[in-house]
Amino acid sequence: MSTRASAERTVLVFCIWAGPGFLGAGGLVEGFVRDSLPIALLGIVGICAAFVAHIVVNAWFEQGFSRAEVALGIGGFGLFAALFVSAWAAGELSPADYLSGLAAFATLVAGFIVYLSTRYGMRGAFSRFHHPSPSSHGGSGQ
Amino acid sequence: MSPVTAVSLWLPLPLLAYAAGCLYFARLAFLENRNDERYFSAGHDLSPWMSALLLAGLGLSGWFLLAGTMEIAQGGFSLASLLVGGIAVALPGVVLFKRIWLVGRRLGLSSDAELLRRYYRSDFLALASTVVAALMAVGFAGLQLHAIAHLLSTLTGYALSEPVAAAFLTVLLFAYVSIGGLRAIGYIGSVQTVLLALATVVFAGIVLITLGGFGGLNAALRALAADPAGQAKFLVAGVIRFTAGLGRDTAGGAPTAMANFGVFIALMGLGASPLMLKVVLSTKSPAGIAAGQTWVTAGVFGGLIAIGIAIVGAGALVAPALSIEAILGALASSSPWFAGWLLVGIIAGAQLLAGLGLLVASENLVRHLYKPLFQTGMTRSQTVGFTRLVAGLLALLSLLLQVLAPVALSALGGVALPLAVQLLVPLVGIAWIGRLTREGAVVGVGAGFAAVLLTEPLGYSVLAFFGLELPWGRWPWTLNSAVWGLAANLSAALLVSVVTQRRPIGDEQADARRFLAGIGGPSRGSALGATAWAAVLAWFFLAAGPGLLFGNIAFGAPGASDAFLLGMPSLWAWMIAFWTLGLGLVWFLSYKIGLAADGMVPVEPYRPRPLVQRDVRVAERLRLQRLAIAGAVLFGLVVFVAFSFGR
Repeated sequence: MSTRASAERTVLVFCIWAGPGFLGAGGLVEGFVRDSLPIALLGIVGICAAFVAHIVVNAWFEQGFSRAEVALGIGGFGLFAALFVSAWAAGELSPADYLSGLAAFATLVAGFIVYLSTRYGMRGAFSRFHHPSPSSHGGSGQ
Repeated sequence: MSPVTAVSLWLPLPLLAYAAGCLYFARLAFLENRNDERYFSAGHDLSPWMSALLLAGLGLSGWFLLAGTMEIAQGGFSLASLLVGGIAVALPGVVLFKRIWLVGRRLGLSSDAELLRRYYRSDFLALASTVVAALMAVGFAGLQLHAIAHLLSTLTGYALSEPVAAAFLTVLLFAYVSIGGLRAIGYIGSVQTVLLALATVVFAGIVLITLGGFGGLNAALRALAADPAGQAKFLVAGVIRFTAGLGRDTAGGAPTAMANFGVFIALMGLGASPLMLKVVLSTKSPAGIAAGQTWVTAGVFGGLIAIGIAIVGAGALVAPALSIEAILGALASSSPWFAGWLLVGIIAGAQLLAGLGLLVASENLVRHLYKPLFQTGMTRSQTVGFTRLVAGLLALLSLLLQVLAPVALSALGGVALPLAVQLLVPLVGIAWIGRLTREGAVVGVGAGFAAVLLTEPLGYSVLAFFGLELPWGRWPWTLNSAVWGLAANLSAALLVSVVTQRRPIGDEQADARRFLAGIGGPSRGSALGATAWAAVLAWFFLAAGPGLLFGNIAFGAPGASDAFLLGMPSLWAWMIAFWTLGLGLVWFLSYKIGLAADGMVPVEPYRPRPLVQRDVRVAERLRLQRLAIAGAVLFGLVVFVAFSFGR
């Protein structure tokens, strides 16, 4: 992909995450702060919308997620998971917070699986993680 | 933690993220530019989708959200033509952009000033375009930035003073403009447009949720309309009032239909401004012009204005606690991140306009005025460096005006759009009316500028300084200065063109005419063409002219038993209907008549006749000396006259 096309893709991705993505993340946090499941769910919808839009942009530019995007996504997910688990362990979560967190995790995991299966197919998605040893293919084939 | 401390911790986060994003894209653009050759026009390689977004964002800018909503909050729906602003911004683009792009590509042009200078061989027209761009950057966008600095200061509990907030915004603006040039403005502008549009939607959503939905908002409006004192806010006050203008008008300032017409014409100035043309001339292909002007500018952004901006303004009309400032103030204590994000949306709109204005004004001053007149030997690197310097000076001027002289800033901002409208005439001359001569265009724009300045506070303040008192105020007969200017402009341009038809024209003008004649246009006398003319005239009459009076009562007169037949004020419903019809009209002109969609032809660059290169350094030095002497004499005269007759 040319430098210009790559820059244009970056602009679009930034538009997506600075708009619905940021509003979604903010809504999720706001849901936790206010103990409000509906607000948290709206936030999750915003994040999902941004994720879907990101995938559409990737498909338009015939490109996958960049390494930086993957690192940022996994880092954000990890941070959220760590905060959620530590808050749960400390007994700080209200029932609404608990449901909001579970809904967020369920959506993110489901979204991840759906993304992999749509991009690589069910079998291909599995192969992204499972690399069979040469012996399982029946040796050298001679 | 006190609310102010909470605000001061969370509010800046979105702002800092925004600033970081701007600088990231400026760096990206800088790296992609690779050298100074692409600084001004991004190598004429902007994507059509990006141009479409930029043009729509420039049309909306921060003005509609800040000033448009305030106008509705104070005056109600009486200045209804604001609500079809999306159509006003789109129309000049539909008529002009494709052909201007073709001429620009043919002659290898990069901006409005260069186009006017080369086509009409007129430095005056280039100067006029430069003045308009500078006024838009310093005055029009400066006013918006001033309002935003005030908001920012208020929201941080005055922890951040207004001057510091204004300085932060100005430095950021200058940084990304000077680093990445037009490409940075394109990249950042796309994000800014999306943020501005989303912020508008979210503000409208907040108003609706607070008032209990669309029904709740209209119930409050109905209560206001039932009060005889409030009915004027739902009516256009007659066709015209022959008064001396604002400031001298004893009958009050309620907008008439012709005042609405004037505002509509002024908004068209935004659509034909040098900023818009800079984006068009830097675009890779005209393929996106029709879709951009129709679906993005007139459609999506027109809808945002007709519905979103109207909701935000109407919310503040029925409940002052729902003004933008009040909403942000309330959110700053309950959800500061959200207030910060919304503020970023407004900042984005203002900076989009200001950034492009800075680049265009400084480029025009250096590259299209100073260089060809006084130093043709400047290298590209020197030109870019000098342009950055001038952009910095303009940014500083804007900052100083914001901090020290907001009244002067307001006067400068007030003339930006009416003056921009005056450039429509020479541009239409280039695209469609080849018989408009150089002399006609120059005299027309001069007369237009004079008429605008004489009907605006800036003009009569300057004259009052010299001891000359005008007998009229702002906008005599309730007509916007844009209309007075356009009337003077058209009359002078036509008259002078008629008597100068036989004057020889320049090579580039002749070539552009031949080139456009070869492309052709809508066939004259066809049924479609006649239909288009009739539709345009009817739409103007009903949506932005005297026909607006029908809108007062078409869906129930305010205060009557059948008021709000459609559940909303009659004028608002009328304007939404005419926004929809206007969108149809823009589509019809763009696609069916082919003003913006058809005629995409390969463009061979114009090859000028080879000329003997002469050493012009002595002439340039002399010209510079003369300019300095003339400036000194003029300054002396101004001081003498002001001292003798002034106040």
